[in-house]
Amino acid sequence: MYPVEEKQGFSVVCLHGEVDLSNSPEARRTILNCLKKLRHVMVDLSAVEYIDSSGVASLVEGFQYARSNNLEFGLIGVSEAAMGVLRLARLDQVFHIYPSLDDRLGNGSRG
Amino acid sequence: MHDQILREETVAGRKVRPSDLPAPPKSAIRIVQACSSRAISSSDLARIVANDPLLTAELLRVANSAYFGLVSQVKSVVRAVTVLGHRALRNMVLCIAMRDALRADAIPGFDIDVYWEDALRRAVSARCLAELAGLDADECFTAGLLQDFGLLVMLYLMPEQVSHWSTLAEAMPDRRRDLEIDLFHTTHDEIGLVLARSWDLPSELATAMGYHHEEPPAEIAAEDTVLCRVCACADWMAAVYSCGDKRFAVQRSRTLLEECFGCNAEQTDALLQSVSDSVAEAATALGIRVGEQPSFETVLREANLRLAEENLSYQELTWRLEQTIAERDRYAEELHRELELAREVQQSLLPSPDASPSGITGLNLSAKAVSGDFYDYYPVGDGAIAFCLADVSGKGMNAALLMAKTASLFRCLGKGVHDPGKLLAMINREICETSVRGMFVTMLAGVIDRERRQVVLANAGHLPAIHMGCAALAAEYPAQAPPLGICADTVYPVDSFELLGGSLYLYTDGLLEARIAGGRLGTTGLVRLLKDQGHLPLQQRALAIAASVCRPGEALEDDLTLLILEGARVHGL
Repeated sequence: MYPVEEKQGFSVVCLHGEVDLSNSPEARRTILNCLKKLRHVMVDLSAVEYIDSSGVASLVEGFQYARSNNLEFGLIGVSEAAMGVLRLARLDQVFHIYPSLDDRLGNGSRG
Repeated sequence: MHDQILREETVAGRKVRPSDLPAPPKSAIRIVQACSSRAISSSDLARIVANDPLLTAELLRVANSAYFGLVSQVKSVVRAVTVLGHRALRNMVLCIAMRDALRADAIPGFDIDVYWEDALRRAVSARCLAELAGLDADECFTAGLLQDFGLLVMLYLMPEQVSHWSTLAEAMPDRRRDLEIDLFHTTHDEIGLVLARSWDLPSELATAMGYHHEEPPAEIAAEDTVLCRVCACADWMAAVYSCGDKRFAVQRSRTLLEECFGCNAEQTDALLQSVSDSVAEAATALGIRVGEQPSFETVLREANLRLAEENLSYQELTWRLEQTIAERDRYAEELHRELELAREVQQSLLPSPDASPSGITGLNLSAKAVSGDFYDYYPVGDGAIAFCLADVSGKGMNAALLMAKTASLFRCLGKGVHDPGKLLAMINREICETSVRGMFVTMLAGVIDRERRQVVLANAGHLPAIHMGCAALAAEYPAQAPPLGICADTVYPVDSFELLGGSLYLYTDGLLEARIAGGRLGTTGLVRLLKDQGHLPLQQRALAIAASVCRPGEALEDDLTLLILEGARVHGL
């Protein structure tokens, strides 16, 4: 079960550890549930040690759902491990990435 | 005092006064109380009884009945008091008085005789147990007759629950009590105790009415506790003739009677038979209308029939379970066959190594029955070859289906579109239209012109293609755009380069992240491996690379796919 925090109108889903085929369905469910409840959702990847393609797919689905429903979806505090995967696949061009939620709230620049 | 207690009681969820409740006539209560007084003489007692002529007449009738069978006929109250004794007289008066406590039409829509028939079975059962319990037969009979009187009172207070009577009557004693809680929010034994105390009934009868389901309090006299046990057993014995699951009631009666009175099954069955024999007689004595009583033999036959039915049901259940297991195995086999078929179809999407143009080969090893990886190549005219390698996110059947779609699009669209960037953009748009669950495809697509040794390559979010020169890494071609299936308007830039004398390696993460001694292969390990195996002929090289990361007997963690393109040999090398 991934924790979700609500801060200043944002749902922050905190993924952690290894996000792979075994737990990406849970990540997907949590992210989509948040998007159905609040208009602004951030996924905190600061504690992610490894993310495989199924984990990335759960982020992509969140991104696509948000885009088609005019919601906000972004990533914050992306760990080196996760950022490596995102950069390699050029997904850093797709997701809105911020160093932290404060950066987003202070109109932090897109990563 | 008792009125006060009762006034404060909430009976069946309502506040009631004793005068609101069905009760034995006051004259009967006076007789009962007088009987309990040791000081009273028989002549005084007879005088009190004679004050109620109707009761007296009924008392003489009952006392002379076959069931209560006195040795000699009694024709006067004085004689009755003398012959019966104070205690028997008390019990007989109580039975008559309680029977008349409620008029026949007191509870709308309810035939009180049906209740009394039920109560009479308990009374007769209790009387059957008197000798075993070492108690007075009439005392046991009275206790049995009164033990569930609380239920009649609850129905009187809440006539809207009368419709549940048949369920209550057919329920086991314990279950009936649970149902009472659901329907009345109280139980007949709780109400019975309150009533018995309010009427000043003898304590042994009040105790039996209050504690034939639950253990009586420790201060209750041992003899009274025995009467409670008699009533508890009588409840189950009567249930043999009234409840739905007669087999269970018979078994429970046998167990209880063995526990309480050391009866074996035969003795219990004989007692149960005598209940059936005596109900009609007792009903005549008390003037209660009852239906025809089934014999115990009939009840037992019915119970055995039910047992046989249950055995049949058990056999049927076993048979159904076997059928279900067989069906599951059949489905598993079918699924296995379909997976095999899917695997065959998927493998057929890959180019045949035997029919490969020179200078290109590929290899695909699946971690599961079907794979989310694929590669392909085919000539596109003028000696050029279109090629690709792709990896679908996730694993299993959904990845395999998306793989099949992408492979078909590559084959279909690639024959007309030779620019890999444009081709990927077209495939991307198609996949985006039907994307589900965020699934995406990382893909490398290119064209190699064998004549000019020129490669044009586009990378959609895939691992970098590695160009190995003759002896070292020449270049890497990482993704310049995200994977297919995410954003429909993505543009895919291309890299163009010459492959003179070297090889181009396209691979999936099943190779890059393969476990080797001391960790995972990684880019450095992969480059070293490609360099070490670079001297081998193409097909042999692909197998050697795969073999160096696949441990014999160990399943793959991930699909492993590799495509190698060899540039034209440079003269002199």
